[in-house]
Amino acid sequence: MYPKRLLSCLALLALLVAFSAVPLAQETTLTMLTHWGTEDQLAAQQAIIDAYMAENPDVAVELVTVDFGELRTKIITGRTAGISADVYHFYHLWLPDFVNAGVLAEPTQDALSYIDENVAQGTIDAVSTSDGQTWGYPTEVNPYLLVYNKRLLAEAGYDAPPANWEELKEIAAAITQVDDTGAITQLGLGVMAGWDSGIVHPFSALLYSNGGNYLSADRRVAEFNSPQGIETLQLYADLVANGGTDPSISGLGDFPSGTVGMVIMAPWWRATLRAAEGIDFDSEVGVAEIPVGPSGEAPSSIAYTWLFAVDSNSPNKPAAWDFIHWMNAEHEEGAGSAIGDFLVNALGAIPSFSHDQAAFADSMSDHYVSAFVAASAYARPEQIVAGGQEIKTLLQVEIEAVLTGMTTPEDALASVEMQANAILEEQRMMAEE
Amino acid sequence: MKTQYGVIDAPAAKAASLLPDMPKSALMRRRMLWAYVFVSAPIIALLVFLLGPILFSGWVSLHRWDMLSPVDEMPWRGLSNYVFLLTKDRVFLKSLGNTFLFAIGGVGANTALGLGFALLLNSRIRGRTLWRVLYFMPVITAPLALAVMFSFIFDRNFGIVNNVITAFGLPRQPFLSGPSQALMTLVFIAVYQFVGYYIVIFLAGLQGIPQDYYDAAQVDGAGKFQEFRFITLPLLRPVMLFVVVTNTIGALQVFDLVFATTGGAPANSSMTVVLHMYNTAFKFSRMGRASAMAFILFAIIMLITLIQVRLLQDRTYQE
Repeated sequence: MYPKRLLSCLALLALLVAFSAVPLAQETTLTMLTHWGTEDQLAAQQAIIDAYMAENPDVAVELVTVDFGELRTKIITGRTAGISADVYHFYHLWLPDFVNAGVLAEPTQDALSYIDENVAQGTIDAVSTSDGQTWGYPTEVNPYLLVYNKRLLAEAGYDAPPANWEELKEIAAAITQVDDTGAITQLGLGVMAGWDSGIVHPFSALLYSNGGNYLSADRRVAEFNSPQGIETLQLYADLVANGGTDPSISGLGDFPSGTVGMVIMAPWWRATLRAAEGIDFDSEVGVAEIPVGPSGEAPSSIAYTWLFAVDSNSPNKPAAWDFIHWMNAEHEEGAGSAIGDFLVNALGAIPSFSHDQAAFADSMSDHYVSAFVAASAYARPEQIVAGGQEIKTLLQVEIEAVLTGMTTPEDALASVEMQANAILEEQRMMAEE
Repeated sequence: MKTQYGVIDAPAAKAASLLPDMPKSALMRRRMLWAYVFVSAPIIALLVFLLGPILFSGWVSLHRWDMLSPVDEMPWRGLSNYVFLLTKDRVFLKSLGNTFLFAIGGVGANTALGLGFALLLNSRIRGRTLWRVLYFMPVITAPLALAVMFSFIFDRNFGIVNNVITAFGLPRQPFLSGPSQALMTLVFIAVYQFVGYYIVIFLAGLQGIPQDYYDAAQVDGAGKFQEFRFITLPLLRPVMLFVVVTNTIGALQVFDLVFATTGGAPANSSMTVVLHMYNTAFKFSRMGRASAMAFILFAIIMLITLIQVRLLQDRTYQE
């Protein structure tokens, strides 16, 4: 009796295993982690994935998105828990940390050759470590420029954006309006307190336009604590003092509502501005070069980028690189890549690959993105270094301290410089251990 | 069998007398085995999910670990994480001070207001049940929802609080964006959120005090204040101990409210220890230093709790 039952059970189990194993043996499942999470962005990414799966029926791709603020945490905790994604799209500042920890797989030779042939050297450097190793396919290039509300400037009596810091202070103060109760109903220059990139990138753009540096060329020491850096932070203090800016007003949230005159921002904001109800994108949004500081000679800016890379623990590395390549490659001459289309048309960002820049030139020719395209030629790439995120956050906090009158520019930069150099030295020692 | 009060517990005594004579049959052994199985389940869960991570965290606090490198490759750092935190990490020291202020303000206000409202609700006022529900509603509201709501309420430009105070001719205040006000505004929100819970606890304590004591005091000519001072307060001391200890522990571990409202801004003026711990671990990939913070916080909580228990418990039993 029992042997019969046992045999029946085993036979059933064998059948189940046989039938379930057939599709498993043929199918590779890739997980892609990105931070593009709005409804439109999700739909656009899913369309790319569906097209890839239609061409590659043996590969399934699952899309996971998290908010940018949680992306690094998601990558770290996923790795620790052993459930990491196969494909990451991440901010290049984190690259040295991830490489040092062995998170990333080296790209295939074909991938490296394709990147070399189709991407400008400056952008390749932005997704490479100091030893020259490139770690993934660069995607968006984001320089910062002064985005302004033409209507508010005109109402304040100005028909052109500020070209230097004195004009910036003057125009910002002229735009600001305060009602009888003390409420700020209109602000000259919006800052983005509470967001590290929203604070440090505009600061860096102004610093570079004032002839200063963020780190030394060899990235061994911080150089923002310089006369140029102090002048840059003094600009913030002056703007607060003359009412030109106020950290309690969010430039990111209130510029689209038409109550902020100017903000220093990146091109990917176009989709938001186009959909904004408080400002008319075509007639009211203007883009200008970063105003030049007293110690600067010409407008400059900072540009950051992102990249697609593969997790070193992925069991499907060849398939993952194939998928990334498929998304970034041009399959038909002049048509551009799937990701290029997404970056330009869904985000308003500037793609890294030359074929995308050519294919979507028309889409990037509007008054908004074209200015950023021009700036990408001279914007300095954000200097990436192990511990860079921590340094950036420390700087953000001190800039906010100046904005809220808690410290002076001199003390703020001296404090961050000391801590930043300690971090850089520690990272060097770690690398040598 | 005698209980601690000297009363003989007959069923227990009978069971105890039977136990030595019970035959250890296979059935009994099987029952005992199952008893061990059931007892071992929560013990294993405690070891795996509580004690294990605590020990691991202690081990990590002696290393430099970015959570990405293999655990067996963590570089040994000894006590340097602790030394750094206590001597060089200005954000940690600042957040420690902020957390103490938050705890002192929160515990003080919650205790005073909790007791005050409980006394009111314990009296014969109309709509007592309605008031209790109203006070308790914030306790069951999601903390993040409260945080978002208060971000609007306290907005410098459009918040209703500023609109009210400017109507009285007072200047607008940067409640959540001003370095000198953000922390105290967070204390206010935390008190709003939790005072209902402590009202319920105090109310239960008040209702446990026999009416006879008040009747006797009234016969002796005691006034309302004397009743409160010499009857209510001493008999509420065990409840007070519970409220103060649990509130202090919760306040020292505050995270979600700060994370969702100010994020520690502006310029770390509202940064708390657990939020700094989170940033250090997940934003800067310094799990060793974050673990050391957890142990320092644990030691502080333990010390404060022991002091509170000592101060309040001794007097409870003496009186």
